[in-house]
Amino acid sequence: MAIINQATKELQIKIVYYGPALCGKTTNLVQVHSNVQTNTPEGKGKLVSLATSSDRTLFFDFLPIEAMAIKGFKTKFQLYTVPGQVIYNTTRQLVLRGVDGIVFVADSQYDKMAENVESFGNLEDNLKSLKLNLADIPYVLQYNKRDVADAAPMDYLEYLLNNREVQVPSFGACAHKCDGVFETLNMITRLLLHKYINESGRKVA
Amino acid sequence: MAALPQLIEEDIDQLNAVLSDLLTQSEAAGGLVIDKGGFLITQCGALQSFDTTTLAALSAAAYAATQTIAGLVSETNFSCVYQQGEQHSVLIQNVDENCLLLVIFKASASVGAVKYFAAPAILKAAEQLRIAERRDPSAKLDLSTLNVADTSSLFRKRVA
Ligand SMILES: Nc1nc2c(ncn2[C@@H]2O[C@H](COP(=O)(O)OP(=O)(O)O)[C@@H](O)[C@H]2O)c(=O)[nH]1
Repeated sequence: MAIINQATKELQIKIVYYGPALCGKTTNLVQVHSNVQTNTPEGKGKLVSLATSSDRTLFFDFLPIEAMAIKGFKTKFQLYTVPGQVIYNTTRQLVLRGVDGIVFVADSQYDKMAENVESFGNLEDNLKSLKLNLADIPYVLQYNKRDVADAAPMDYLEYLLNNREVQVPSFGACAHKCDGVFETLNMITRLLLHKYINESGRKVA
Repeated sequence: MAALPQLIEEDIDQLNAVLSDLLTQSEAAGGLVIDKGGFLITQCGALQSFDTTTLAALSAAAYAATQTIAGLVSETNFSCVYQQGEQHSVLIQNVDENCLLLVIFKASASVGAVKYFAAPAILKAAEQLRIAERRDPSAKLDLSTLNVADTSSLFRKRVA
């Protein structure tokens, strides 16, 4: 749950990028880090990667960024990735602790469909083990690697991953070219802020 | 999973007072109260040279990892993480279900002394968090009275 500190007028929100190994989660954070425009140098923190020597995410990547979402209130977003490899499930559970919003990154390559579906199921299971329910957590889908030759059609990805009662926003992306990266991030932050506003009773258009 | 209660100025003032006492007594360099999700709640001391946002995120993760290791070897009492360095040492201890205390102190100082003074500080911090909780257990985030900026594109891509 996001934390609010009335004394320092700060709101802190945790967003986790989830998805199968090598789908492009780290690339999303790298692109946000190198391309985001901030008003002050302190608005963007260091990108920290706890990775193996071969650059595979071992624990998580972490990027703090700030925005003025509410007048007079500093909103600090913390972006995390999880390791995608199936064996690191305990680590994924640790990173999900206190999560406010999720970006599920899927790999558009045809031969990754089973991994995408499995990872999504794993996300739901891990949330349950934390007594959370995906339906209660704002999330968006990103269909990454739209540039590859064997990319599955968007409709097919929608059918596989966004086929629930309530459909969530989804974006095609080429994360390594920064296409779709900001669209995804802006949508999840928007869903999150509106959730908090609506929870307290007032609807916002 | 319980969430951290909304904190008001009084809570932060109290937590800061607890940290400040702890630093005076133990001669530690700095103290942080951290949410177990990885957020920095408040900090005190000479911490200008440290990236405390990252320190908080990594400490929460290290603590969570240690807890999990404890579970794997059927230990129930891995209640702290301690790392001795050449210049500075770091001690991370459990405060309550949601929070941790991190103390940074000179490597030459004794960890025993830091632990000794940290024990009552932890109790006081936990008590203040309980007060915050009791103030209004149902109070979650209330942004309705705040003036929300346009949320459609909070983050802008730098134009090359
Ligand atoms: N073709 C293509 N490759 C991408 C794209 N996004 C990321 N990659 C590559 O996919 C690989 C894995 O990306 P990474 O971000 O490390 O994946 P993670 O395991 O999910 O963090 C890297 O070699 C990236 O350069 C994309 O949109 N298209």
